[in-house]
Amino acid sequence: MVKTATPTNKTVTPTSANVDMKSLMSDLVRRSGADYCEIRIEDSREQSLVFMGKNLENVQESHMYGGNVRVLVNGCWGFVTFNSLEDLGKRVKEAVNNAKAASKLSNDRSVLAGVTPVTDVVKLNLKEDPRTISLEQKLALFGGYNERLLSTKGVTSTSTRYFDKYTRLYYANSDGTWLDREYMDSGMGAYAIATRDGLTCRGSTTQGGRNDFGIYRGMEKDIDEAAKSAVESLDAQVVKGGNYTVVCDPNLAGVFVHEAFGHLSEGDNVADDPRMQEILKLGRGFGQKYLNIWDTGLDVGLRGYLPYDDEGVPTQRTDLIREGTLVGRLHSRETAGRMKEKPTGNARALTYRFPPIPRMRNTVIGNGPHGSFNDLIKDVKLGIYAIDSMGGQTNGELFTFTAGKAFMIRDGKVAERVRDVTVGGNVFDTLKNITGVGSDLCVRDGAGGCGKAGQMPLPVSHGSPHIRIDNVVIGGR
Amino acid sequence: MPENFTERLKTFADAFEMYKSESRSLSVAFENDRLTEIRQGESSGVSVRAVKSGKIGFSYSSKVDEIEDVAKSAARMAPFGKPYNFEFAGKQASKEKLAYDEGCENLNVEQLVELGNKVKDAIKAIDKDAMAECSFSGSTSRTRVATSGGQDCEERGSGFGYMVGAKVCEEGNFVQTYRYRNDNKRIDDKEIIEAARIAAQDLVIARNVSPFAEGKYRVLFSPSAVSDLMLPVGTSVNGLNIEKKTSRFVNSLGEKLFDDRFSVTDDPFLPDGPGSSLYDGEGVCTRRRAVVEKGVLKGFTHSLSTAKACGHEATGNAARGVSSIPQPSMHNIVVAAGDKSQADLLKLAEGGLLVDQMLGTFTSNFLAGQVSGNISLGFPIKDGKRTGRVKNCALNVNMFEMLKAGIVAISREREWQGNMLLPWILLEGVGISAR
Repeated sequence: MVKTATPTNKTVTPTSANVDMKSLMSDLVRRSGADYCEIRIEDSREQSLVFMGKNLENVQESHMYGGNVRVLVNGCWGFVTFNSLEDLGKRVKEAVNNAKAASKLSNDRSVLAGVTPVTDVVKLNLKEDPRTISLEQKLALFGGYNERLLSTKGVTSTSTRYFDKYTRLYYANSDGTWLDREYMDSGMGAYAIATRDGLTCRGSTTQGGRNDFGIYRGMEKDIDEAAKSAVESLDAQVVKGGNYTVVCDPNLAGVFVHEAFGHLSEGDNVADDPRMQEILKLGRGFGQKYLNIWDTGLDVGLRGYLPYDDEGVPTQRTDLIREGTLVGRLHSRETAGRMKEKPTGNARALTYRFPPIPRMRNTVIGNGPHGSFNDLIKDVKLGIYAIDSMGGQTNGELFTFTAGKAFMIRDGKVAERVRDVTVGGNVFDTLKNITGVGSDLCVRDGAGGCGKAGQMPLPVSHGSPHIRIDNVVIGGR
Repeated sequence: MPENFTERLKTFADAFEMYKSESRSLSVAFENDRLTEIRQGESSGVSVRAVKSGKIGFSYSSKVDEIEDVAKSAARMAPFGKPYNFEFAGKQASKEKLAYDEGCENLNVEQLVELGNKVKDAIKAIDKDAMAECSFSGSTSRTRVATSGGQDCEERGSGFGYMVGAKVCEEGNFVQTYRYRNDNKRIDDKEIIEAARIAAQDLVIARNVSPFAEGKYRVLFSPSAVSDLMLPVGTSVNGLNIEKKTSRFVNSLGEKLFDDRFSVTDDPFLPDGPGSSLYDGEGVCTRRRAVVEKGVLKGFTHSLSTAKACGHEATGNAARGVSSIPQPSMHNIVVAAGDKSQADLLKLAEGGLLVDQMLGTFTSNFLAGQVSGNISLGFPIKDGKRTGRVKNCALNVNMFEMLKAGIVAISREREWQGNMLLPWILLEGVGISAR
């Protein structure tokens, strides 16, 4: 048991405030007896508020404190989580014992790709710290947006949410890495609901970021657009199902690249499956010459910004598709080790309750040669213009997402509004069917996040210029 | 936590509710034939809803010894919060009993890794190309709710769940099949290995792709797919959507909305129901109740707050994690069995589709009755059998209309899907888009 002596010789519960975390953690990982050991300890404070309809539904402060030990013994993992620093040495032993027990029954052996150990202290660097904004000010700002939604004729209910979360994360591993990181995350979502004659339609706007409360000011135009979208949707017809050329706005195209290609690029899909390694062989053509896709943790301020991943690997920009050719994938140390490739800084864990796995950061389709939105639609006789996203899902080969709003394209022009537009397809075919990439790349964060292996919502970013995809399946009547 | 904490809380707040939770878990996971994870977890937390000057504040900490800080923080939040227009739970005791399984407490790594190895072997024996995936997780928990209204209840819970799956990723053909079940007691290894065999047999059929033209078809939905189809009804009877008047059922209590054969019950006392509990997240005694009976809407799903706002009786349906405020949710959703066998339904679906898994349905507009998404596992039915699987097909149905006029038949057999006990349902006139 770890105890800290006070001047009066009374024992107190150890916390990150009264313990030298670097000494404590570095010492334990060094002496664990495992082939590899890491300890992560996380101390987060969150403030959040929710308006629903006319009422403030909840206002909340939360404190999350906990950690984990992850060890590798004879190629098998052991992972133990805890909520207190007491008995930390015992937790290390439990993780080691679990890994040892498993290694006697399993022939599976994990290896970690080598990385240069780092020692760093990462302090907050904020333009405007959400913690300096009083709760009254936050309630006035977001309550004002909620009122604005409600005051729109036809809007019958709303949901307006905001959160900010400050985290201090301590990380040590037996390779010698020590990190003491602070970071901020925040997001808001405003949802308008319009109901008429038993039909309910939605419109929404979201915003998010890591370093500036200022991004939440001046959103009136977005709020009005969300309200208008919900109301106008009531008069729209359900889209007729079938195959269409679809032009996606940057936000929806960002969701597309995240769902349709980003997840496929995550190393754990490939590392253990020889057939997948053949299908996703570096150098294979995946699209036209003008298709470029990358994932990066370098964009300060975005929710996908990540100076170090959750194995202490420094971030980078990782090119995935360059000029239509597969050139990279997203790795943890484990998946990189198994594939004899280099770690890319993509090992991420939602919280201390989960082990790190390969995840995206900010996934982007780069600008292409096909000009403006008008240039992209001018030759489309019958198609769909799909804007914003209600979310999406993939199983590796197939993907589905629902557009936030959509219009028909007729004879090269945006025509009537349609609703309930669900875009689905085959990842491999769809990437090849991208026949137009515009030049208006835009990345805008929301309040949600990515889900994988029960770890949701992980803050990520995605973006793209407008893109045109031929032969897309639209679910409809 | 000091035992006199309720006295201390009274010094911070005019009224309060304390929710405390402590749990332990052990899970093992295999992915792509490999043992990938052994996770042992300890999780705790305490939260307080405090009332000051007629308004509610909420605060939470993962450290149960921070109860006093949490209470102070909740009281500090209260002046900004929602009006306190209901009463926290009063003293009450459930007359029901639920079993607690010590077996979920005594799991060890060796048992679960060996089980994973057996699952892997069972799958490989049926399809040597298949990659096996499986996970097993056992947990025990203790939750306590204490209120200024006099309620102080504690409940122990146990749980076990498994997922077994098989997949093959070939050029132009990624196929994955899986089965899962959760229970509040240790599930027998035999059931888990049999589930793995069924998943592998499904995979063998699904590896062959069958062409399928778009159009309107009879579609047989397996319990797994029915769990998606039930979301519009579940969302529309949720007290929050009744309170906010975003549900089309706001004024429909007692109305015949659906086919006679469609009935839904919320049953918190089923011995094998993963959602079973004696008390809800606000300390209110749970109860068995009809939601839809022979097509007639019988009840909504309420927390104390939504019940009060709607002028209805509380139903003991407040669900919560320790870090969040209670929201209405059903315990175990039980859809009534029909009068046909699963085999009969397959015959009746001749020329149509059997849909087992859908992708991305969670983005649908449930309040409008819509369920749409890609069909990730669907089989054309020919001569009463599944023939390969369809690819690049999507569906979009309005379940309010389908449950009223589209039901052909419902199966006698039912399966657990999470906290839902569901039959197979055959629907008429389902629009399928295909490429």
